[in-house]
Amino acid sequence: MKSHAIALWLGILMSSSSGLVVAQENYPARAVTLVIPFPPGGVADTTGRPTGMALEKILKQPVALVNRPGAGGAVGNAAVANAKPDGYTLLLALSSISVIPAADALFDRKPAYAIDQFAPIALLSADPTILVSHPSLPVKNLKELLALAREKQGQMSYSSSGVYGALHMPMEMFLHHYKLRMRHVPTTGGGPALTALLGGHVELTGGGPAAISAHVKSGKLRPHVSWGASRHVNFPDVPTFKEQGADIEYYIWAALLAPRATPAPIQKTLRDAVRRAVADPDFKNAMARVNSPIQYMDAPEFASYWEADARRLAAMVKIVGKVEAKK
Amino acid sequence: MVETFHNLLLGFTVALQPQVLIYAFIGCIVGTLVGMLPGVGPLAGISMLLPATFGLDPIIAMVLLAGVYYGAMYGGSTTSILIRLPGEAASVMTCIDGYAMTQRGRAGPALAIAAIGSFIAGTLGVIGLMLLAPTLANFALRFGPPEYAALLLLGLLMLAYMTGGSMPKTLAMAGLGLLLGMIGIDAMSGYTRFSFDVVELADGIGIVPVAVGLFGISEILLTASQALPELPKNPALRELMPSGEELRRSIGPIARGSLLGFMIGIIPGSAHIISSFVSYGIERRISKTPERFGNGAIEGVAGPESANNAAATGAFIPMMALGIPTSPVTAVMIAAVMVHGISPGPMLIAEQPNLFWGFVASMYVGNVVLLILNLPMVGLFVSLLRIPYAYLYPCILAFCILGCYSVSNSVVDVWIMLAMGAVGYTLRKLNFDLAPVALGLVLAPMLELSLRQSLAMSAGHYAIFLERPIAATMLGLGSIMLLFSLKPFFSKAHSDWRAKVGLDEVN
Repeated sequence: MKSHAIALWLGILMSSSSGLVVAQENYPARAVTLVIPFPPGGVADTTGRPTGMALEKILKQPVALVNRPGAGGAVGNAAVANAKPDGYTLLLALSSISVIPAADALFDRKPAYAIDQFAPIALLSADPTILVSHPSLPVKNLKELLALAREKQGQMSYSSSGVYGALHMPMEMFLHHYKLRMRHVPTTGGGPALTALLGGHVELTGGGPAAISAHVKSGKLRPHVSWGASRHVNFPDVPTFKEQGADIEYYIWAALLAPRATPAPIQKTLRDAVRRAVADPDFKNAMARVNSPIQYMDAPEFASYWEADARRLAAMVKIVGKVEAKK
Repeated sequence: MVETFHNLLLGFTVALQPQVLIYAFIGCIVGTLVGMLPGVGPLAGISMLLPATFGLDPIIAMVLLAGVYYGAMYGGSTTSILIRLPGEAASVMTCIDGYAMTQRGRAGPALAIAAIGSFIAGTLGVIGLMLLAPTLANFALRFGPPEYAALLLLGLLMLAYMTGGSMPKTLAMAGLGLLLGMIGIDAMSGYTRFSFDVVELADGIGIVPVAVGLFGISEILLTASQALPELPKNPALRELMPSGEELRRSIGPIARGSLLGFMIGIIPGSAHIISSFVSYGIERRISKTPERFGNGAIEGVAGPESANNAAATGAFIPMMALGIPTSPVTAVMIAAVMVHGISPGPMLIAEQPNLFWGFVASMYVGNVVLLILNLPMVGLFVSLLRIPYAYLYPCILAFCILGCYSVSNSVVDVWIMLAMGAVGYTLRKLNFDLAPVALGLVLAPMLELSLRQSLAMSAGHYAIFLERPIAATMLGLGSIMLLFSLKPFFSKAHSDWRAKVGLDEVN
């Protein structure tokens, strides 16, 4: 009995002393946890599941998905930011990861996490939003829309996924650029925001291409302009803001991140794994099924992309300011 | 009509697939068990099963969870009648006359009438769901924020109007629920309220930990301090048949209970629990022999049991057609389908006809399954109550904690649940009714958001509620109800019957 216990302790001591070096060389030696900071069913989840499955094949270790929803992603993001940086806890982040610290600063809240607590691994998908209006609104293009909005300054209304949310930020960019004022009707997500527009309770919203495409085809929504740098594949007739002379860009993106201090060799392993994962036909099929366009970028490229995006969003949060203060 | 029939056929082709059928069956059995076990109501049952549905097809997930919900309405009556222990809250009223019938040796007929009434009400409810939900869904896009605000307000007024018992106590509990609902990020300004720097609280308190704590944990704690109830005797099948006299007396209550329960179920803010209270009150009021109530009147079993089943079905209409939950149970069910990327709302029936019609058809099947389960097999279920509490309750407690944690993998939720269990225990010891707490928690964020969205749309003008015909009509109805409640006669009669039947004892 006693000798068993000693042997067990010895074993534990030995395995822990051989520690970090071995861990890096053999990575991954056990299951990897991929944290999804949103409830099952959302974009983060539908991107994270195929990503996890593709990585599992490549890393030859199980990848366990854990949904840690709460506070618009802050709960899950913070959990990974403060996780042990050993490569066994990863984050499937959405672009809102950059907005939360900016909003925390605006409200003098204790920040849930900071952006520099993460190391970028790779960008997985990115989709611009598209400005759509209810067909009862008598405008056919951006020019007519701008004219009407200026005439009815402060009287038109738009819906969003929530204050400082993924569909609020692009609308504020648009309004700020053209010096327009509109009534903001925040809802509890992308679905309700679209429903409010379909029912004609608001006049505009910025919607994801996948969510609006069926309604645009059936004539229940009218698309005007896209926030993308180039025209969207599924909406070749819809111009971009850039074409219209406005320097506005916005994407909802999903990426794989690790805690900042994750050892470089492990980060390298993960980057290689993602590069192979995005070429996996199963991954491609799964992403096509949920209408998420794959937009792969390796860490160095993605790091500068993210930095630019985070700067844009943080500046926008500051401009929007506290909603109450504007009244 | 032809189209409805055609759609229903489509639904049956979905519902009669062996796999769907099996899950409907499992759902009904689990629901019956959940309904019978004190402390585990349909809400706790559905919450615990929720994570297990993530891997299932959405239609199967819906069929399974719905089976648990209306199955619990059947099962709840069994323990109420046999041992005067309401298996779930909606069966509280059944305890009164159901148990009295047991004492007079008429347990069998009481069980039979409860099952038959539930079957009729459930089936009528599904017919109503089938006919009303698609119409309402077409209409539902016209429900903007002002209409939702008016509808929720109407629901709250209805709740206040119909709840019996001590008004200050009910209001205090509703107030507590509304306050709990205030926690979290203010949807209009982005400020966090009452979160005390706990990131998890920024989203507000979820209904699952609160409901499991308030109803489940507190029941377990309460039972531990009570004397063991007498072990029930298995009723034999031949003793189940009600007499002609009993059948004749039950027809009216079943019909009224079905209609009333269905209507209450549709309105957000009320629930199956209230429906059985109201049904009992009405049956007693219109009876020519009200003195029989409390002493084993079969009407007192038939009415409430029909009402709670019809309400459980009616509650699916706003959920399916508008995407709004009328009760915590449907709120959890909405979460269950959203996991699959389907959001219940005005577009659901058009976009997912298989899901909706398959769901409707499965409820026809489920009601038949339950009738079969609840009559001949009642003895089998009763024997479950013979498991000593010392074994049964620790298991239930473990299930509650696991179920609560697994909803969003949050330890904070488990602490909330345990704290709510303690709060619930204390409040129930002090004879407070806890249902308004849960409803307040669910409704407060919805009412607040739709009210403030409306005002954002109108730039702060309250006239928006009167300019829109649907909203104005609902507010008008609400005002009429307020006027009625001023009629002292009604409220007096209301508190009267509660006192007379000794409801406080049961609570």
